[in-house]
Amino acid sequence: MADLTLLVEYKRREFLKVLASGASLTIPVELQGAETRVHVRRAADGRIDAFTGKIDMGQGLRTLLSQCVANELGVPVEEVRLVMGDTDLTPDDGGTWASLTTPETVPAMRKDAAAVRGAPLREPKEWTALGRSQRNLNGPDIVTGAFKYNSDVKVDGMWHGVVLRPAEYRAKLVSAEGQGVVRQGDFAGICAPTLAEARALAAKAKAEWAYEPLPAFDKMIAAFKAEGKPPVENNQVRYPPLIRRGDAEKALATASQRRSLAFTLAPIAHAALEPRSAISSFGEDGRLTIRCGKQAPFVVRAEVAKAMGMKETDVRIIVDMPGGGFGCKQRSDVEVEAARLAKASGKTVRVEWSRADEFVWSYARPAALIETETGVAASGRIVSWRQRNYNAGAPGLRPPYDFADHSNEFWATRAPLRQGSYRALAATGNNFARESTVDEWASTLNRDPLEYRLAHIADQRLRAALEMAAQRFGYKGRKVGVGLACNLEKEGRMALFVECAMEPFRILRMTCVADFGAALNPSNLQNQVQGALIMGIGGALWERLEFDSTKQLTTRLTNYRVPRFTDVPAMDVHIVDRREITAAGAGEAGITLTAPALAAAIFSLTGKRPMSMPMRVQTP
Amino acid sequence: MAKLTFTINGTRRTLDAAAGARLIDVLRDGLGLTGTKPGCREGTCGSCTVLVDGRAMRSCITPAASVAGKRVTTIEGLATAGKLHPLQQAFLDYEAYQCGYCTPGMIVGAAGLIARNASPGEQAVRQALDGHICRCGSQPRIVQAVRAAAEVMRRG
Repeated sequence: MADLTLLVEYKRREFLKVLASGASLTIPVELQGAETRVHVRRAADGRIDAFTGKIDMGQGLRTLLSQCVANELGVPVEEVRLVMGDTDLTPDDGGTWASLTTPETVPAMRKDAAAVRGAPLREPKEWTALGRSQRNLNGPDIVTGAFKYNSDVKVDGMWHGVVLRPAEYRAKLVSAEGQGVVRQGDFAGICAPTLAEARALAAKAKAEWAYEPLPAFDKMIAAFKAEGKPPVENNQVRYPPLIRRGDAEKALATASQRRSLAFTLAPIAHAALEPRSAISSFGEDGRLTIRCGKQAPFVVRAEVAKAMGMKETDVRIIVDMPGGGFGCKQRSDVEVEAARLAKASGKTVRVEWSRADEFVWSYARPAALIETETGVAASGRIVSWRQRNYNAGAPGLRPPYDFADHSNEFWATRAPLRQGSYRALAATGNNFARESTVDEWASTLNRDPLEYRLAHIADQRLRAALEMAAQRFGYKGRKVGVGLACNLEKEGRMALFVECAMEPFRILRMTCVADFGAALNPSNLQNQVQGALIMGIGGALWERLEFDSTKQLTTRLTNYRVPRFTDVPAMDVHIVDRREITAAGAGEAGITLTAPALAAAIFSLTGKRPMSMPMRVQTP
Repeated sequence: MAKLTFTINGTRRTLDAAAGARLIDVLRDGLGLTGTKPGCREGTCGSCTVLVDGRAMRSCITPAASVAGKRVTTIEGLATAGKLHPLQQAFLDYEAYQCGYCTPGMIVGAAGLIARNASPGEQAVRQALDGHICRCGSQPRIVQAVRAAAEVMRRG
């Protein structure tokens, strides 16, 4: 049996040569040394080899999962050699999404590492590597430019592919002709030894498309409501589409005051800085190996196998770290394009998406209509709550508030746009609608928005986060320009206070307190939460994909405003470390706080409550 | 194809460049200097920033031919004698990145700023780096890191 150490080195250093030579890259599963793939084992040289199907995309997983293994085995973090996201070598830990690595993969890695040591999991007071700020293991290569991202990988002798794209957004390929054109279904592409040659051939090729029109935004929203399907209660799924208690309708009928509000969300792009790419190669044994930068290698493997009519075990996906994901790099797309061209040409083929491809041919965070129908008792307490999310999704529907009767619903629809995953999924829109509605009641009833929220919150940790954030912010009651929001999302408790000013509109400062239980890597956690809050500014204020009746108009970063240095306010992001409480995943929750807090601040400044994302407020 | 001669990270090189080639493609494909990252390919995200005669330039919109005879410095050329540039060290110390894809361009852009302004205040850093996008949202740490590095460099 080959030494796994060699395999790891082989994977890292020799892959390019092997791929270029066209030799087989078959590495049997048995080389892992177990029938069922393991997360951790001691290598022949005494060091520790660890394996995970998860990937790092900037959220710090290489570091965190190495900390887990080092912690249980009592070795330095640098001693752990972690192989990530290789379908031939690693266990399938599920896609890298939904803040699941911390609650699911962290315990799995720790348990397997503890098993190697033959001891129980270390108690928090015995932690050596976990619970302290461990520097990002990729850092030294990042700052010198040596780090190889997905798009930096090149192979000697590889060809380059270009995909023919229609101008229209919803198009079916009718015909494609020209020298070297490879056609399969709606795919048409060309590959050549150099990118310039491939582009020249593509420019000469002729493709005809039949297209369907696109509805205007308002019509699309109206159709969501007209065609939405009521949810069927199912509490066995990760995101239940109906979360209810009591009888919200009946409670509404007897409420002292009622209010109906409707919020809309525009579709937005992830705009990860690195455009995706893939290198596909068929070995002499017919196996297909693809290097790519996707968040879910096993999902990509299944999709590629299906598209190519192959067995999953005949496809190997190897992930090189992507330069940002945020949910846009989950499903197969560029991988299948490269595989089709590799199959047709018999060459190793690389395809890289342009910025326009990223904007148009990936998918958007779903547009949505979110309605709240709520009622208060004579005391001012919210006693009836109904929230309906049309199209965006069920995540984040569960209110952190103690509403006596509530019904939180996701009404699925058929969307005319390509839509899919995005950091925090629908939780951002759902929290925007929920927090704005609560804020509206506080304003209507002339109650302090912090006190009013606390009056509805039983969860002690969320209460503590709000109170601590208020203190750090210097909150002294309602004040023009100040807004707040909170959430209990995926077991994370967060509170955010913002201060804004007008003429022109600007965000002056943000104060956030976040409690995710044990802080396994406090500095990285702070960076993640702060980053999510900042990312949320774009979706709250400016981001919106624009379309005409047939085409997506947003194709360039110059036409799509994302947060920049002068947009980012002074920030105080404080992490509460509750060592005794199991850590929750924290990559997403922060982004759900920004829009509602900004909306509350804008309302206090203008007297008009923002009812849409992005909000219509004049900014510099 | 035309011959192009310029100084890259202190070494004079001559290579073939296609007519109309952008500097970024010559660096990445011709010289294997992949620390310079493509992002928007229209000069708006800053991830491809390099120094040309000490000035920060967007290599994705810079014609390769325009650097003939000039000095080009990329992220790979900042460290000297195996010692990290103070900006690189400060980015490490503040962990001023998440995915790190924008980091090389950010560091080079900051080097261009410090060359002009040895003591940049917070607003000067924000203004100078406003043409750089960090999608992960590490801007607050980047501002801290750049100011800390500038101080180290002032002290010599």
